[in-house]
Amino acid sequence: MRFEEELIELLPRLRRFARGLTHSTADADDLCQAAIERALKSRGQWQDGTRLDSWMYRITRNLWIDERRAAGRRGVHEVIDEGVMQIAGDGAAEVEAGALRGDVDGAMARLPDEQREVVMLVLVEGYAYREAAEILDVPIGTVTSRLARGRDTLMQLLGEAA
Amino acid sequence: MSFDPLLVAAYVDGEVDDLTARRIEREAESNAALAAAIARHRALTVQLAAHYAPVAAEPVPDRLRALLADTSIDTSLAERRERRRLRVAPAHMGAIAASLLLGLTIGMRPWAPAADVAERGGMLVASGELAAALDTQLAATQGADPAVRIGLSFQDRRGRICRSFEGAALSGIGCRDANGWSLERTVGGRTASAYRQAGSGSLAADAAAMMAGEPFDAAAERAARARGWE
Repeated sequence: MRFEEELIELLPRLRRFARGLTHSTADADDLCQAAIERALKSRGQWQDGTRLDSWMYRITRNLWIDERRAAGRRGVHEVIDEGVMQIAGDGAAEVEAGALRGDVDGAMARLPDEQREVVMLVLVEGYAYREAAEILDVPIGTVTSRLARGRDTLMQLLGEAA
Repeated sequence: MSFDPLLVAAYVDGEVDDLTARRIEREAESNAALAAAIARHRALTVQLAAHYAPVAAEPVPDRLRALLADTSIDTSLAERRERRRLRVAPAHMGAIAASLLLGLTIGMRPWAPAADVAERGGMLVASGELAAALDTQLAATQGADPAVRIGLSFQDRRGRICRSFEGAALSGIGCRDANGWSLERTVGGRTASAYRQAGSGSLAADAAAMMAGEPFDAAAERAARARGWE
């Protein structure tokens, strides 16, 4: 299959991943657009026969991290990040259980970026731990510990069963 | 026996070997705290999968598609012909139509939960259309594109009848017991499960590990339905 056609088939899932990272429809599609443009420019780096999906998820995630860092330098996210630190840091247990019952977007927004991306890759996109570790370029133990922390916070915020 | 929370999470994510999975399942039968922890983890996975599934079902915006149209300059006539052929292939059109239809179906029922799941007795059980599909649908006669596709039906080691299924928001394995169809395995919907196949948590492998004997053929499946899956 042609590179472009494979990419088109990936787009629905890539948009879902981007939506989870950015929690905004407009930001997610901007991110997807940037990822597609980067992929087309760097297609020489993709080796035929290897998995295009992992490569695309990695590009998308790296672009988002760059964007967040740049925004942080501009001071855009400072207020939000402070809130994240309070809730997702050691104080997670102090948050009232079920405070955000049913509000998945709100709960995901309170996770630090490095936990949110692992939660999306494993729990939503269905990647194995090893695959998620490869996409994020971190050891598998880092994936499991970030996933555990993210899960605990989400369960705490969302309350009990779905 | 107490279990490391990371191990429980790994079990729910399909990341432990078959022996460990069976050890955890046996223990969960008599250890309520462990069973509740498993149910909590599954509930979160279901909630997240159901929340994000509609995004993957939306039609992709034209501006993203346009980026990928005709970007390569190819000099091969054969390749251009092949591409034209692919563009109008009926299978391709079918996939586009199906994704549009799915988007519409979800769009038309904004009040309905994206996954048909309820909690009963601390367990996740199928409800709504998923329960109806597990109750009535036969793999042999379900047609080309059912909303919930039934995969394997089989008897597990505890004597229950279990059925694997794939839906847009949720795929998994339901086993018939006093609560109804208890969801023993849950993964994201169809799009996620395609990747699961490549990972360690494929539903077929899970079903094989749970199975006592062979999966049902069409006649056995029909007979089991006639007996109310008892």
